[in-house]
Amino acid sequence: MGLREDLERFREIGDERRPDLAEFIREGDLSGSSHDAVRIPVKLVDLPSFEYDRRDMGGVGQGDGGTPEPGQPVDVPGDPGDADGEGDEEGDPGEEGGEHGYYEMDPEEFARELDEELGLDLEPKGKRVVEEVEGDFTELTRAGPNSTLDFEQLFKRGLKRKLATDFDEAYVREACRVAGADARDVFEFCRAENVLVSLAWVREAMNDIAEEGVSLDEYASFDEFAERVERDPVSARIRRDGLRDVPFRREDERYRQPEVIEKKQKNVVVVNIRDVSGSMRKTKRELVERTFTPLDWYLTGKYDEAEFRYVAHDADAWEVERGEFFGIRSGGGTRISSAYELAAEILEEYPFSDWNRYVFAAGDSENSSNDTVENVVPLMREIPANLHAYVETQPGGNTINATHAEEIERELADRDDVVVARVGGPEDVTDAIRTILSTEGTEE
Amino acid sequence: MIHDDRVATRRVAAELAEPAERARELAERLGLRPYPVNYWVVTHDEMNELIAYDGFQTRYPHWRWGMKYDRQRKQDTFGMGKAFEIVNNDNPCHAFLQESNAPADQKAVITHVEAHADFFRNNEWFGRFAGDREDPDAAAMLEQHAETIAGYAADPEIDREDVERLIDAVLCVEDTIDQHRALAAERGGDEDLAEELTDIEERLDRLGLSAEVRDQVFDPEWVDDQRDREPLPEPRPDVLAYLREHGTRFDESEGKAVEREPWMDEVIEVLRREAYYFAPQRMTKVMNEGWASYFESLMMGDERFAGDDEFVTYADHMARVLGSPGLNPYKLGFEIWRYVENGANRREVVDKLLRVEGVTWRNFHDVIDFDEVAATLEPDPEIAGVTGDTLDDMDPEDPRVDAEALARATAGDLDADAYPWAVLTYEGLCERHFSLAKPANRGFLERIGRGELERVARYMFDDEVYPDVESALADVDYGAGWARMREVRESHNDVTFIDEFLTEEFVVEGNYFTYEYSEAAEEYRVASVDPDDVKRKLLLRFTNFGKPTVAVYDGNYDNRGELLLGHRYNGVALDIEQAKRTLERVFELWGRPVNLATIVTEYDDHEVEVARRRGREPRGDEVPIRLRYDGETVERHALEPDLAEQIAADDVDYDTTPEEWLA
Repeated sequence: MGLREDLERFREIGDERRPDLAEFIREGDLSGSSHDAVRIPVKLVDLPSFEYDRRDMGGVGQGDGGTPEPGQPVDVPGDPGDADGEGDEEGDPGEEGGEHGYYEMDPEEFARELDEELGLDLEPKGKRVVEEVEGDFTELTRAGPNSTLDFEQLFKRGLKRKLATDFDEAYVREACRVAGADARDVFEFCRAENVLVSLAWVREAMNDIAEEGVSLDEYASFDEFAERVERDPVSARIRRDGLRDVPFRREDERYRQPEVIEKKQKNVVVVNIRDVSGSMRKTKRELVERTFTPLDWYLTGKYDEAEFRYVAHDADAWEVERGEFFGIRSGGGTRISSAYELAAEILEEYPFSDWNRYVFAAGDSENSSNDTVENVVPLMREIPANLHAYVETQPGGNTINATHAEEIERELADRDDVVVARVGGPEDVTDAIRTILSTEGTEE
Repeated sequence: MIHDDRVATRRVAAELAEPAERARELAERLGLRPYPVNYWVVTHDEMNELIAYDGFQTRYPHWRWGMKYDRQRKQDTFGMGKAFEIVNNDNPCHAFLQESNAPADQKAVITHVEAHADFFRNNEWFGRFAGDREDPDAAAMLEQHAETIAGYAADPEIDREDVERLIDAVLCVEDTIDQHRALAAERGGDEDLAEELTDIEERLDRLGLSAEVRDQVFDPEWVDDQRDREPLPEPRPDVLAYLREHGTRFDESEGKAVEREPWMDEVIEVLRREAYYFAPQRMTKVMNEGWASYFESLMMGDERFAGDDEFVTYADHMARVLGSPGLNPYKLGFEIWRYVENGANRREVVDKLLRVEGVTWRNFHDVIDFDEVAATLEPDPEIAGVTGDTLDDMDPEDPRVDAEALARATAGDLDADAYPWAVLTYEGLCERHFSLAKPANRGFLERIGRGELERVARYMFDDEVYPDVESALADVDYGAGWARMREVRESHNDVTFIDEFLTEEFVVEGNYFTYEYSEAAEEYRVASVDPDDVKRKLLLRFTNFGKPTVAVYDGNYDNRGELLLGHRYNGVALDIEQAKRTLERVFELWGRPVNLATIVTEYDDHEVEVARRRGREPRGDEVPIRLRYDGETVERHALEPDLAEQIAADDVDYDTTPEEWLA
């Protein structure tokens, strides 16, 4: 039916309308997604037409069990910018109107697209060997269910066996007629000529010949025999006599087995650390979310197994669920080292030999005095990881005591597994992500 | 007749053959005159496909059907928009029933469909498309269109994307037609222009020059321009027709406007024809759905067309259709139709009562005993309570009784218990279902206002005909309500229907209100509960498909062959962003720069701030503007004052915002 094609074409157009990934990360609504499905809002494709401005048009509604009072606010479904109460940016009301659909991609696709978009090339390292991963059925064993019997093998082996035991009987019979040669001589001659005859067979043949009364002195010597009698090669004999029986033997039976592949599994554990102290206001929190969330997706997409742990800290650190991680606000001061202490503890569950480790921390660079140099830096040196990143969210420039990022850069300048990224606004997010993902320690 | 081409649907189909026949019989007995209907039983997915295709099986190739299908399927998955039926306007109509509906639903759908088929056939707006022919012949027409367009799309000489782009462009302006005129009438209007053109050519011919010299002297483009030389005497509401007749195609490689390929003209015309075909359905949505719901309710509920066991399922179905929240066309239409019926019946009764000696409009409420009237109006028990057991009491000579059917019922050929209505005539059914006798409408008669009474009485000459109330009521024509309904169904559309019959009672009882957007509060607020305001707001939603009216004002704007469209500004602004994007598509159909004149309301930031602090609405400035798209960018210009005056409408005010509303 033509409708199928119409649907396909509609999907194609929808794909063309998809915002590019960088734009989505910087400005899009990240909330609809989960760890295994990234949902990118796509403005639904429909044709424009001359329409009234929705707000200017107003409308008619129906009260719920009573006539409402004029002046009472009403919820008009589908009105742009109405739902979250946040004022639209510039522009005419209704500009962002229209329904949204979603383009859904899995994290693998997200990672691939982000690679392309940001020009990244992160090769995840396999860490843990996972045994007994079944490969193709290419291994052969001597026993197995009938359905896996490799008949080709059985036939080939049978054929080989036949060829191996088969010899030019006429040739050997003639060889018996060399004057003065006994069975052993004939046998040895034949073996030297690579004719796979047994001594017993030669003996029997000589007896037969004697019984038949055929002369045993036809050839003066083996040399003369060799000169006068030509051997038929196997192929010629098979062609002449046909293959006749191929012996199937039990010992030739082979059963296919899956190949055992030693597979390197690529595991990653990410510890996301966030400063939740009072100075981390909404804008900063959102910037952290915008940076960390795509990183999570990306790493999920890149690795076979990805684990995420979330650490919130002010002067103390505690572990939280992802759901609350980006929203938390607490009062207290800031001591970043508390978070690294907790991270070190958490990471003990994930031995570095088996796991790729990423430690991402974010905050506004404020820390209690000397904590960075005295505590954080040594901890960062001690915790083995593929990458330690610090994301500084500081919209509108640094305050004087916000020096954590600088100190990290200075103190750990010798390390290639440490990176600092600065995010002043949503427009910096993709650059920060690129900076973080294109840095990685060379493994020892 | 029930069709089916799949074994799985056969059982469902077989069960429905009898109800479909009976429903037709009942519909005709109730005074409907529907097109024949072919019923098809379809699967769930087929239903979604049909909905995507607006109720037909074949449409031209375009992604928009895919979009509709996709949405329909998603809605369906989320349990919204469950589809029961779809019926198309054709002779015969084709109605599609979903295989998985419960039998009660199927019967309800069939009764509903019969009423739609009657509406299609008898509403004047639908008649306009068919013209002199009785048949719209829609399925064949749409199939032929599909073939034509598919043919172009597959033509190796034609770029498939060009076809799609052209369709896209036309669909953007498919609503800017003159839906109030018949398709054919618009043709006549354009012939004058064509004649003007021949005049110019003829005049040139009369100069007696050779073709070469003529072309040297008179630039062909100049000759072309002569066609649109004169500004249009009247704005052209059928923008699509104008674009088809006078539009060109912008050729990228040549960088100028060139003649369209013939296939393009044909595609535009095909789509325009379809727009005209579908327009009546959109112009009568409320009436049509209300009409169908009314008769569905009458047949299913009052006549127990559903078996007793199915009635509960039916009641549930009806409640879902009519009870869905917000303002739904089924409910709105249904309520208004009931008002039309009750109103006409009341007028009939009042007309008789005012002719009783001693009854005048002044003392009407004092001298009439409404309980007595109600009791007298009750239908004759013989008519109201027909069953298989009462057949012997019925008089074949009674005009309310169908003598022939009665004979068959008595002989056992007709099951009067299942179909009691079958032994009654239209007249009998009128009495059986007289609306003012129904419990729900008790009090309706008494509620008549003195104003209306006076109007009825004013031109009444023989006002002393009856000695008493009883003899007056004996003369009441029980068919008055239905007769009036059929009249209204013939000539109205949603706008006139709502305008004339939407009552204060409806608004007040339904708790309807208008809402407006508050610039100061940055949210919607309830604006008014006044019935007139509600009606006006509703009319805005139904006038011109609920869309702004845009017409062609000039085909040679600025003497440069540019198109000037004008938005007839009624106080409600355009969605400017969409308008810009639409204008870009219009360019595809015009080939030269296109302009749109409109008026926007602008708010000064300071003014908004002040207003917000003082708790009032900011006063916006209405600025007349002209948007111009030249193939690359949309620019905004000031609009000439005389044009601004032309596009501004003065009579209606759709704004229902009260003076003080921000507490």
